[in-house]
Amino acid sequence: MRLWFSPLLLLTLLIGLSTAMPVLEPLFQWLQPDKQSVVYERESFLFLLQNHLTLVLVSAAVGTMLAVAGGIFATRPAGRDFLPLVNQVASIGQTFPPVAVLALAVPALGFGEAPIIVALILYGLLPILRNTLAGLEGISPAVTEAARGMGMSPLQVLVRAELPLAGRVILAGIRTSVTINIATAAIGSTIGARTLGDPVIAGLVNGNTAYVLQGAILIGLLALTTDSLFEALERAWERRFTPQFAN
Amino acid sequence: MIELKNVTRRFGKAVAVDHINLRIETGEVCVLVGSSGCGKSTTLRMINRLLPHTEGEILVDGEDITGMNPEQLRLNMGYVIQGTGLFPHWTVARNIAMVPELLKWPKERIDARVEELMTLLDLDPATHAGKYPQQLSGGQAQRVGVARALAADPNILLMDEPFGALDAITRDNLQMELLRIQKQVRKTTVFVTHDIDEALKLATRIAVMDQGRIVQHDTPENILRNPASEFVENLVGKQDRGLKLMSLRPVRQLMTAVSDAGRPDPGVESVGEDDSVRLALSVMVWQSASSVPVVNGKGEQTGVISRDRILQDGA
Amino acid sequence: MTPNRVLPALALLALGLLWGLDLGAIQPNRIVPGTGHGLLSALGWPGAGLVTAVLVSIGALALAPLRHRYAIILVLVSLALALLPLAPELLASRHLPADAPYARSSLGAGFWCLLFLLCLMLVEAMGRLNAGRWLQLALLLFVAGSWLLLLQRDGLESLSLMREYNARPDKFSQALWTHLALAFGAVAISAVMAFALALKMIRTPGWQRPILGAVSFLQTIPSLAVFGLLIAPLSALSNAFPFLQSLGIRGIGWAPALLALIAYSLLPMVRNTFVALTEVPESLADAGRGMGMNERQLFLRLKLPLALPVMIEGVRITAIQAVGLTAVAALIGAGGFGAFIFQGLGQAAMDLVLLGALPTVALALAADALLTMLANSLRPAPLAS
Repeated sequence: MRLWFSPLLLLTLLIGLSTAMPVLEPLFQWLQPDKQSVVYERESFLFLLQNHLTLVLVSAAVGTMLAVAGGIFATRPAGRDFLPLVNQVASIGQTFPPVAVLALAVPALGFGEAPIIVALILYGLLPILRNTLAGLEGISPAVTEAARGMGMSPLQVLVRAELPLAGRVILAGIRTSVTINIATAAIGSTIGARTLGDPVIAGLVNGNTAYVLQGAILIGLLALTTDSLFEALERAWERRFTPQFAN
Repeated sequence: MIELKNVTRRFGKAVAVDHINLRIETGEVCVLVGSSGCGKSTTLRMINRLLPHTEGEILVDGEDITGMNPEQLRLNMGYVIQGTGLFPHWTVARNIAMVPELLKWPKERIDARVEELMTLLDLDPATHAGKYPQQLSGGQAQRVGVARALAADPNILLMDEPFGALDAITRDNLQMELLRIQKQVRKTTVFVTHDIDEALKLATRIAVMDQGRIVQHDTPENILRNPASEFVENLVGKQDRGLKLMSLRPVRQLMTAVSDAGRPDPGVESVGEDDSVRLALSVMVWQSASSVPVVNGKGEQTGVISRDRILQDGA
Repeated sequence: MTPNRVLPALALLALGLLWGLDLGAIQPNRIVPGTGHGLLSALGWPGAGLVTAVLVSIGALALAPLRHRYAIILVLVSLALALLPLAPELLASRHLPADAPYARSSLGAGFWCLLFLLCLMLVEAMGRLNAGRWLQLALLLFVAGSWLLLLQRDGLESLSLMREYNARPDKFSQALWTHLALAFGAVAISAVMAFALALKMIRTPGWQRPILGAVSFLQTIPSLAVFGLLIAPLSALSNAFPFLQSLGIRGIGWAPALLALIAYSLLPMVRNTFVALTEVPESLADAGRGMGMNERQLFLRLKLPLALPVMIEGVRITAIQAVGLTAVAALIGAGGFGAFIFQGLGQAAMDLVLLGALPTVALALAADALLTMLANSLRPAPLAS
């Protein structure tokens, strides 16, 4: 239970702040005395948070499925030929700056949420793909050979031995991917997605520091919440799949 | 000469080395032997001050090492460890040249010395000097380790289980090599091992250690003949002792000299004067013979050794 | 000699995309969307046939049991890459109306897909040939040189990207320098800081958790948030101390950008430096010490040379990241290529977006290539053969 304490606390704080930001108006008024409007009101923070999360979750789900499938394909006998290329693509692809990928998606797909989703999926897929390959390739051949020797079918070897063993590394890849995508989705405001980046961009355009602050705090909290959630998940995974030795 | 007087080393409350006294004469090979955790490595590492001693005095050639600069002290002591500790980013030649370089020898002298040492250790300078340690076999790498330790011609050689990670055949070769080199260079050597056979083979004197104390310090023969305690007796192997003593003894001591120095008939198995009595016995048992001819280095027969004599006086 | 299945798959994919998507478009002016031209319309029968033939022969060669097939494929692919700018040139010469000064040609999805797939083929062929770094460098220079030569010609002047560039060559070079100064300034400063922090962590192990915790906390916060959060305190500072204002330190601009970039760069730098220095096996340090090296000699002759490649790897990760984040920093007025991107997005001028995004990508790739090569050349000891 202690494992989930800090993500829950952060989540409560995030949702609380998103709902109750107008209550803090006097504080922002004090920070920014020369502006009439000091709390961003074009959309509710809760809506922006929800939209931001949806973008990240959808792209993470699709990206994970594609990457894990691709990683499994490239490590099976049928796909081995593609392994060096997939490996290279996964590592060269990560050299591309996320903001450039986002910008390049616009000429191809136009403004709005479609280019963001595509950019988030493509970019977010790479760390997961890389870790899937590393996780599957990192398993000692003795384990898979033993499993096959005991009479497991290739599918059983994959599901019962390889995926549980590689799981933690894959999870770490998903964590990296989601962290990057939360940040990229925030920048997505500049190409017309409704995310927590909106108040920041609006504030920068209008010179309203209070808006910037509100957006930035919520984005930061969202990132911290997600990160601590993954931290807890990784620990839980470790407890579940790493044998505990009796003393 | 190295002297340890009442030396103690504590790690926190645990006593690793407990008031030991040890005197290692110039030119002798003193082997510290005992099971792991007995304090033998700790003792060795106190001699070159990689570990400070808690109590007592350590003297090298009469001088207390606590007063000396530790780097200066170590530059005059060769040091060989298990797994070689060769620098992976340096070539074999540069590894061997490490101490001469630290001592700022001129380049020509270093190059000459490196070549000399590689030849001494049976490594071909032309093929091996430019290689990196990862490209060598385990045995070759440890030869380089020994060469590195000898490079600046130190008076003292400290060896911490140097052959522990090698396979049996390579280990045996390197032990013979070390004996050969020791005959030439006569370094005061402190050698740590847990292998009693290695100790018996290499030592002029053995110090048996147990729980931080030296339980017996004597020549290999005396250790075998008069073990000071049950611990030493178990270490050397109670019933095995006869064979072990025979391995210490050269054939020369038990052979009957033969005056006409011809060569033994080809096809007849013979043993050398410097081979062990144990080997001679083994040859006779295998061939069901009651005696075997003894030859000198040139292959000429100098004597004969008989089974009866060995059984009588062998151990 | 087993047939290669990767190259035919890539060639087939390239053919499908090339025939299915637009290779480029002709626009009457900067904003109005243009009319797309497929492969056939853009290049005519001879050009389209040649491209198709090259792709087909790459695929066929990969399946053929020839001894030097990968070398031949490598030559074919590099030639195709080097001559790729001829495709938009041909498109412009065939379709650009002569009497419309604002008309421009632009590159379509087909072109980008072809470029991407050709690069993949190059990677695959070099991998199969076990190409060394000198061959890689030579091919890179060959392709880049040929592109530069082809871009100098008049035929590509109508290309929207060139139009955008020619409209603001000064701003472009200024953006380049700003971008380089910010990104690599941050990398250099954080490298020095990270080195000091890593040494502190080694000397005082009690500092390991707090330092690593702090730098990974910084890395978790999204860039936009960090840039945003720095505005208020920095503008307060510069209002309180006017001499800071005279240095150009304000809530927006280069100061918060540089600070945020440094904060971001610390994690990979500190982690790699620390791991590299502590991963030097204790047995080696023990041997060195036992041979009479003092701690300074041990550090300079053993630990630093062994740690250097891993530390450079940290610099590589950091540099790539910093190039990307500098683009984001344009949002708070730091300049650089990001300024073109966001300006272009604001004006819906896609070619301006490209003018910012493509050099950013190129910078990141160049930093990656250079630092990878540096790290490799600093790894003197070959592995066991």
